[in-house]
This record gives sequence, C-alpha cells and structure tokens, in this order.
Amino acid sequence: MTRRLRTGRRLLLPLTFLVLAGCGGDEEVAGGASDLPGPVPAHVRYAEPPSTSLPAPTFRGELLDGTPVEGRELWAERPHLVVFTASYCERCREIHRAAAEAADSFGGAAGLLGVVGEDDRSGAADYADELELGHPVALADERTWRNYAAREPGLVVLVAKDRVVRGWPRGANATELERALGLLIER
Amino acid sequence: MIRGAACIALAALAAGCGGGGKDVEARLTVVVPDNNIREEGSECSGARPFRAIHRGTAFTIADGSGAVVAEGELPAGTAADADPSIDWESELIPTVCTFELELDLPDRGRYRLVLPEALPLEFERRLLGDEPLRLVLSG
Repeated sequence: MTRRLRTGRRLLLPLTFLVLAGCGGDEEVAGGASDLPGPVPAHVRYAEPPSTSLPAPTFRGELLDGTPVEGRELWAERPHLVVFTASYCERCREIHRAAAEAADSFGGAAGLLGVVGEDDRSGAADYADELELGHPVALADERTWRNYAAREPGLVVLVAKDRVVRGWPRGANATELERALGLLIER
Repeated sequence: MIRGAACIALAALAAGCGGGGKDVEARLTVVVPDNNIREEGSECSGARPFRAIHRGTAFTIADGSGAVVAEGELPAGTAADADPSIDWESELIPTVCTFELELDLPDRGRYRLVLPEALPLEFERRLLGDEPLRLVLSG
C-alpha cells in the first residue's frame, strides 16, 4: 500500500511542482523527510513495554536528505522497528522489506527506521531508491552502531517508549516482527 | 570467483612489461576472525571491528618490491564455522566471515594483500596451490 501511495506521489509531485513552482527542482529523496510517518492514527492504544526491557541508547542521525532525526522523538510516538543495514548487504534487503511489511500492517501505528553507517551515504541513496519502502533511512555514526550492539548489518531492534523491547541479530520474517509489534499495539 | 577485469589487466600489464613469464593462479580465502553468531553458509560482512571488510571493498596486491600487481573488489562473504571441532547443536553458531578470491598474478616470490583498516596480509608464491590459501586478517 505504501509503495502504491509513494508511486502516486512520485507521479503527482513533479506535475504539481511544474504547475505551481515552474520547474523549481525540489525533489523527494527516498528515505528522506517525506518518508517520516504522519500523525498516529486516532484510537490506537499502546501497551507499556515489558518492565525488563532496557533503556534505548541515544540515537541521533540524519536522514538521507540531510534532515536531522532524533530517535527518542520517533519512538515516543509509536513503536519502531529499527533495521541496521548497509548498501552492500544483499540479505539485508529482504530483512528490511520484511520489517516494512510488518510495520505497514499496522496502518501507521508502527514505524520503521532504516539505519546505515555514515560512510555508506552514496550507496545508501541507491539502496533506498531500489527498495522504495516509503520509510525513512538515517545515517548514524559508529558509536550508535556500537550502542545498539549492531556488529554487522542485518540487526532488527524493536524500540517502544524509549525502551529496547527486543532484537533480532540476523533479522526476522514479517510474521515474527508483526507478532512482536502486535504485543505493543492494541487495534 | 573474482577474476575481475581490472585485476587481470593490471596483472597482465605488470607481467607483460616486466618480462616475468607465466602468470600464477592464486586461490585465496580471506578470513575475517570476527567470531560473530550466524548461520553457517549465510552471506556475511565483517562484523565490528572489521566493518570495512565487505562485498565491494577494494583491495590491492603488491609484489615484494611494493609494486601493485593486481587490484579488485571483494565478493560477498560467506559465514564459516569458527571452530569445526565443536558440535554447537544450533543453527546459529560462532562463525568467521570468509571471502574467496581467484586471481592471476605475475610470478613473484612474495605478495602482500592490502585491505582497508587491517594489517597487510603477506604470502609467498610457494604456498599457492590447488587448495585456497587461507589468509587471516587482524585489526
């Protein structure tokens, strides 16, 4: 659904700009600010993360279009799947797609943030274009990777209300991720 | 697997101009001893602190005089059991990440494989044979 919406926006936006701004040149960047989630859907209620879950390490980065992003603000609003990935990682594509499928199944009540290394900026732009998931992708420094124990791309972490609820070091399929999100989201 | 055009071209140049005779077929296994938990045989890249070692990482091979005789990019890595003497009784096991290279090199006595953020890997011509030569990285 997200992909259809995004494709639709891609078709409409250039036309809109041509008419209103006269070849102004503003462009959406895959994984950029235009892929940040909208308002949380009304009537969604969230469960508290398990009391045994650990505090989420600080997350500050920037999206692929340069927009600063603060993790705490994202996961204060709704639970997020955070996918640590890399442009050179083939299997990460499948993991990232599975996470998007799981997040999308909650109709905006769950979020997804892809995270790449700071030295992967140009590769990540192509990666985001290729996957076209309609979710933001952030560049994060080495300390952030270490703080989340992301030793290798492919880690998925579930973060809710500033707590790390669970991690999957080698990724997980959409069903498993959806089940984990479902424990935090009352639909 | 890698028999990159750039690699062959450079190796051929070095050998051809130098008059050094036949190329040597080099089969190398670059081992990243990161001991990360993975499924054996799955795609991998170097886990921290070897994060710079992954598919697409550029490498060079120099001869004993320091002249670059080959260059190329790493293929995707494959996870291999870190200690086959142990029955881990699990699909997820401690592994190393291995990268297979197959190159034609000009005939020299010594070589040095250089990868980013790692110490160079030295090897000798006499050690090259039918079986891949294992070169273990250190940080």
